[in-house]
Amino acid sequence: MNVEFAEHNDVMVAFVLADQIDASSAGSFRDNILGKIEQGHKRIVLDLTKVDFIDSSGLGAIISALKHLGEEGELAICGVNEPVMSLFRLTRMNRIFNIFDTQEEAVAALGAKKAE
Amino acid sequence: MLRELGCDPPTLERDIIRHARLSLGKRREECTERDYYLALSYALRDRMLERMLETEDRYLQADAKQLYYLSMEFLIGRSLGNNLINLGLFESCQEALTNLGVDLDEVREQEVDAGLGNGGLGRLAACFIDSMATMHMPGFGYGIHYEFGLFKQIFDNGWQKEKPDHWLDEWTPLELPRPDQACYIPVYGRIEEFIDHTGQKHPMWLDWNVIVGVPYDIPIVGYGGQTVNYLRLFAARPSTEFDISIFNAGDYFRALEQKIESEKISKILYPSDTFREGKELRLLQEYFLVACSLRDIIRRYVSKHDDFESLPGKVAIQLNDTHPALAVAELMRILVDEYAINWHQAFDLTRQSLGYTNHTLLPEALETWPVDLLEQILPRHMQIIYDINAFFLAEVEARWPGNPHRKSRMSLIQEAPDRLVRMAHLAIAGSHATNGVSTLHTELLKSSVVSDFYELWPERFSSKTNGITQRRWLLKANPELAELITQTIGSKWITDLDHLRELEPLSQDTGFQDAFLDIKRKNKQRLCALISETAWVEAIPDAMFDIHAKRIHEYKRQLLFLMSIVHEYLQIVDEGILPQFPKTFVFAGKAAPGYTVAKRLIKLINSVGQIINTDPKVKDMIKLVFVPDYRVSVAEKIIPAANVSEQISTAGKEASGTGNMKFALNGALTLGTLDGANIEIREEVGDDNIYIFGLTSSQINEYQRKRSYNPHRVYEQNPDLQRVLGALSSDRFCPHDPGLFQWLIPYLMDSNDQYFHLADFESYIQARQQMTREFTDTKKWAAKAILNIARIGRFSSDRTVREYARDIWGIRPVPPQM
Repeated sequence: MNVEFAEHNDVMVAFVLADQIDASSAGSFRDNILGKIEQGHKRIVLDLTKVDFIDSSGLGAIISALKHLGEEGELAICGVNEPVMSLFRLTRMNRIFNIFDTQEEAVAALGAKKAE
Repeated sequence: MLRELGCDPPTLERDIIRHARLSLGKRREECTERDYYLALSYALRDRMLERMLETEDRYLQADAKQLYYLSMEFLIGRSLGNNLINLGLFESCQEALTNLGVDLDEVREQEVDAGLGNGGLGRLAACFIDSMATMHMPGFGYGIHYEFGLFKQIFDNGWQKEKPDHWLDEWTPLELPRPDQACYIPVYGRIEEFIDHTGQKHPMWLDWNVIVGVPYDIPIVGYGGQTVNYLRLFAARPSTEFDISIFNAGDYFRALEQKIESEKISKILYPSDTFREGKELRLLQEYFLVACSLRDIIRRYVSKHDDFESLPGKVAIQLNDTHPALAVAELMRILVDEYAINWHQAFDLTRQSLGYTNHTLLPEALETWPVDLLEQILPRHMQIIYDINAFFLAEVEARWPGNPHRKSRMSLIQEAPDRLVRMAHLAIAGSHATNGVSTLHTELLKSSVVSDFYELWPERFSSKTNGITQRRWLLKANPELAELITQTIGSKWITDLDHLRELEPLSQDTGFQDAFLDIKRKNKQRLCALISETAWVEAIPDAMFDIHAKRIHEYKRQLLFLMSIVHEYLQIVDEGILPQFPKTFVFAGKAAPGYTVAKRLIKLINSVGQIINTDPKVKDMIKLVFVPDYRVSVAEKIIPAANVSEQISTAGKEASGTGNMKFALNGALTLGTLDGANIEIREEVGDDNIYIFGLTSSQINEYQRKRSYNPHRVYEQNPDLQRVLGALSSDRFCPHDPGLFQWLIPYLMDSNDQYFHLADFESYIQARQQMTREFTDTKKWAAKAILNIARIGRFSSDRTVREYARDIWGIRPVPPQM
């Protein structure tokens, strides 16, 4: 899966370039994110601006990232389109994750957490 | 109101030609009748959509509360004729087509039935949406866009054989796909609990499969054409056309299989109306309907409201039987999981928004689903059902402290021998109103099947006697009688059936009687042509037409009707007693493919017919016909021709029936038991204008309680009965297949026949004899038939819908500003 990574203010931003995260791409997506976590990045923003569909494998990959981050880590999500948000609501993921409208807001929020 | 499209004949003619060219790609000279049918349908659809948008704007402006009628079945039949009538465009279109050298009747015959239902329940739903549109009520049907409707019935050597009904091959272009409003529906998976930053636990639904629900809208035109609501049917599609990873790996067939797996949810209508199949696919269908509908309803609601406080004030959802009962759990899931509403508030909103209609007391039809199957398909919903059950049982405990038996009886979960979810209990506990569909049925519901619930919440129970739409069942099905009535009393009856009372004085008017009898004879001629074409029997229009048309089921007692026919046949051939006038006995109806006894009955009826119809001793005085493939369009030809309407179910078994109403509206006299709505029909038409026989439901209940029914004793005391059963079970009607009907005697006698065929035989024969005597007095019979029409107004579905709207839904008409 094509994910573009960029670091802002000690926060790793993963910008998903595909329009779907499904069974065919969830595995590589998961490996990419977990790779960054294993490299020591503990604050991650997942930008889903381009994504208009996530199936349960894709959601499973995001959950997996959350679990790997553990209690010290932080995961935020931004740019969630309505179809994806409806799937988040459906699984209650919207209640677990910090969800922001824009990447800037998400980065600022995680950056602020670090400052605390 | 902005209307761009004209409705005069020249404009319609131009539009039909335009659609033939631009929608079908046909030159006028190439057009077949089917092409004209399609072009005309497109021209009408344009006009309906224009009015549908107007109607939506009107509802929006009024901020009107809306009713969503959730039903697994909508038996709408053909739409073109109904739409022409309700739009007021029948004559204009007739003229337009005549100018093109085309006959409208021939064009109408091109349409196939939309057979998206089994019988009464589905047809009721279709009548209701017609009534709501006619009365300008914001009410919409929500159902499934089945690819295959109810099977087509053919007879092979007298046995029913089923053929698939791929109605979409021929379906009208009336429906409007709405892919932009498709929704995702998850199924299967597991629940994992997560804790958020505040420490709150969240059950997350993971590892599901997703199905896409695509809505198709069918415009529903109210009479007068001013209000056009819609019926929204959901088709299942896979989330992506193919799973690309599987496809890329070269496994084309597995990818295709996955696509088919998703689509099969809306593939077929389950073909049984009174016993449940218990199949996983059926449960998936039920959930699919509920999930798609609620997603759509909530989407519409949140687009106009910031919170859910006013949900019950703006939305009413009616569950047509328990099939959509999962709506209770799904609405709770949406409110609690998706919108983070407090559980108790969510349950209050859910209850206030939902109403439930019970349609049957038959134990075999009461839905239950295994807990483990629900856990597998809908793990989150099963958790919610447990939560609701805990809350509900606390309510029971508060009312009856320390009564574990009561709790066990009322629980949403049956614990033994198998763990099952009781869908009727879920529907009652999760809604603010429960209704039966006739007075007797509601009383039996309250006193037997769910008596505990009635004790707990008596105020939530009510009766809403079923009804039928007179636009379909008189105005469209019997146009000549409709015209006679309109000429005589005006047209108000079309939207207010109580006006038929004005016909009462005419029951004694010779001129009116003659006109009525003349129309009846023409309708019989029409039916004779259908019988000749489909059953290859030559019936005569001067005969009495005695008709039993409905699903084949033991409780509806087609067998009892057959026994009486054989009795008359034996009187002719054994005793030489010919009837005073010719009679044609008509059966019509389908048996569920897996219902062995019902299929045997069909074979028996056809075999008896074959002997009777060819026996020279009968001298054509009686004919027995089984009209194949009973469906709405066939009913529209059968019912107007009837003299006698057989409504002979075992008392206490038929919830209401609506065939009884359709026949009476068309001037047939009911021969029936005190069952379902027959009781109320008798109250309306009067004892002198109906033939009632048989045990009452309380007498049957008493027999069953004391286990005192003994068919052998009845048999021994009645020589006529002995002769009839002797003939039926012998090889007399199956000379080439000896022993074929031997099952009949043990079936009726040794299993203590819970349908009481033998017990009712004698009184049935007596009632038939009285009826036969009275039929010989043509004038007197005509007067009775006219009084049936005049006094049947109460059974309009307009009245039923008004009662639901007033007592349960809380919706009001939003008529156009004139």
